[in-house]
Amino acid sequence: MATPDSAEVVVIGSGICGALAARKLALRGVPVLILEAGPRIDRGRIVAAFRNSPRKGDWMSPYPYSPWAMQPQYKPKDNGYLIQAGPYPYPAEYIRVVGGTTWHWAAQAWRLVPNDVRIKSLYGVGVDWPMTYEELDPWYQEAEEILGVAGADNTGSPRKHPFPLPPVADPWSMIRFRERLAPVYPVVANTVARNSRSYDGRPACVGNNSCQPICPVNAQYLGINAVEAAEAAGVKVRADAVVYRIEADAKGRIAAVHYYDPDKTSHRVTARQFILAANGIESPKLLLMSTSSKYPNGIANSSGMVGRHLMDHPSSSLTFYADEELWLGRGPQSPSSINTMRDGAFRSQHAAYRLDFTNISQVLSVTEALIAEGVYGPEFEKQLRWRAARQCNVKNVLEVLPNPDNRITLSSEKDALGIPKPVAHYSIDDYTRRGAERSKQDFAKIAELMGGTGLRYSPDGQFANNQHITGTLRMGDDPAKFVTDGFGRAHDHENLYMCGTGVMPTAATMNSTLTAVALALRTADHMVPAKSSGADNGGAT
Amino acid sequence: MKSVNTARGKVEPVDGCATPASRPDGPIDPARRKLLAGLVTAYTASLVPWALAVPVTDAGHGAFVALSAILAGKRVLNSVLGQRLHAALVDIEPGFDADCQALLKQIEAQQIDPAKLQGALDAAHSSLAPLPRKLMRAWCLGLVGDGEATRCVAYENALDAVMVADVLKPPTYAYGPYGSWSNPPAAKGGDEHGNA
Repeated sequence: MATPDSAEVVVIGSGICGALAARKLALRGVPVLILEAGPRIDRGRIVAAFRNSPRKGDWMSPYPYSPWAMQPQYKPKDNGYLIQAGPYPYPAEYIRVVGGTTWHWAAQAWRLVPNDVRIKSLYGVGVDWPMTYEELDPWYQEAEEILGVAGADNTGSPRKHPFPLPPVADPWSMIRFRERLAPVYPVVANTVARNSRSYDGRPACVGNNSCQPICPVNAQYLGINAVEAAEAAGVKVRADAVVYRIEADAKGRIAAVHYYDPDKTSHRVTARQFILAANGIESPKLLLMSTSSKYPNGIANSSGMVGRHLMDHPSSSLTFYADEELWLGRGPQSPSSINTMRDGAFRSQHAAYRLDFTNISQVLSVTEALIAEGVYGPEFEKQLRWRAARQCNVKNVLEVLPNPDNRITLSSEKDALGIPKPVAHYSIDDYTRRGAERSKQDFAKIAELMGGTGLRYSPDGQFANNQHITGTLRMGDDPAKFVTDGFGRAHDHENLYMCGTGVMPTAATMNSTLTAVALALRTADHMVPAKSSGADNGGAT
Repeated sequence: MKSVNTARGKVEPVDGCATPASRPDGPIDPARRKLLAGLVTAYTASLVPWALAVPVTDAGHGAFVALSAILAGKRVLNSVLGQRLHAALVDIEPGFDADCQALLKQIEAQQIDPAKLQGALDAAHSSLAPLPRKLMRAWCLGLVGDGEATRCVAYENALDAVMVADVLKPPTYAYGPYGSWSNPPAAKGGDEHGNA
């Protein structure tokens, strides 16, 4: 039996963007209800599940799977949730639980570089954003102060105020990369939502080297921290509530959302305003599902743009052995980058990219390789130590331009609740592939400077996905071309807003979470402007 | 080779781990105690002299211990973990002990260098070719079984973690105080294999 319910604002999705937008509204006195499709989970149980997992390299493996809130999983076999239409595979991963996918992010909290929002004007590719970098600066700052972002001022992203935290201490391996590449490349510390000292009641990092899939000690800001902060501000969170329909009234305002509980009992929740924050795949899926006689193409989709311009960051890479012992695996996983190719006139010709160094322990991959090679006896331990000490990896993080044919659509296949599964249509164009080709020069030079041997390039034309699901709900001024306006409000519905990486018009070269959080805070501020200055701006949660 | 035909009880999974029916994770019953030295030939003894005093329950277990020592190289193996791994492997593959004995017999008969073992088995298309990798996967990654039936029996005590424990902690375990990872890695001194 349906349970009537209401709130001033209903937020669909409890990830970091939805939760922080909800918190901001609650701090301004607005009653907010978050509906989350998945269950609540416990950090300690995730840590234990990882240690007991037979698939340590599969960062989805410790997370629970809920039949009523399916999520893409590919190991030990594809669960068939995210259907691949091709031509290039798009095996996105995300977690449908309270707190969302940043449970297992690397906490890389980059800003854009200023020219990222003007690539159409400057380079004739992609599209310009409906705002300047300077307009984003205060929202970045607010996001950074909530998340506790650590960084230095040499990343190419200007700022008016200092980082809340100094950069995280370099692992020895990255000190050596910085020293040895210095003649050619500046190696900079990543800006990360990882504590370089105690901050906001959370401890400094102690180097567990499991940022993905789980920070055991709460030194890394996660979506669950955002949820807890939202709840402390008065937000109500309802888990296991799978929204399956957004209902508009005769005037085009959103009147209600409908959700199923795990038993498929339907519930209807009304509100004055709504925020859709269910990620770049689930959000367009829900909009496309919400058809009616007045909205045959779904909610917010008069432009036909919902689900289109799907982007991410493909990566190719080089793995090699340095000529000295680096011992990756000491300290956090994602410490350093080279940013010199994130912007430049070349962007008219090929994709920009960031070069990313991993500090993930190599012991697992080396062990698997030695077993595969059949190395036994005393040579096994000798080889394990030699390779684990010297093996290192650099990858590119490539920009993908918005392409309307890269999109999310609905399948005729249904999940356990009878909800259509999403379909990914994806390709990687020549612009991005030319960027990958260009980066091979950098890979080779880096290996040379590190005395590299045993060079193993990822196969030409093959890319790893980075799970930075971008686009599909893009913001822009023209209602015929964009789903949302410059503040994330649906062009078609005055009381429906969207938060998350989906609203980003382009993907640029940085991990997308910080930008999405900054935009979400800006959206919440636009929905309910502050009555007095700064009550919820800045400062920790 | 001296043969011991001690019947093994049915192995039941306990708390997710298969364990010997006699005493899960406990020491081997003294009444059933044998030493590996009594089960192997001079050639095996020459390969793994440090393992000869390891207590074993029967010929199958003895072959598993001997093969494990040969494959893992110069490393004293954790006998309790060995019991757990052996029980798990036997549990999912009833012919496991017989395979271990057959492979050990072949190594002894042909005096196969461990470094050349996998190549020799592959070249001969031997039905025993998958066995060394099963043992190494169990000892080094803590994993037994395949596909969806794969089980994790060990993590912190798996050999891949133990072999680098002087330098690294297994992921999820704290490395040390903030910033301690900025220091040069200080591997403990030892022989050419890193054994302290």
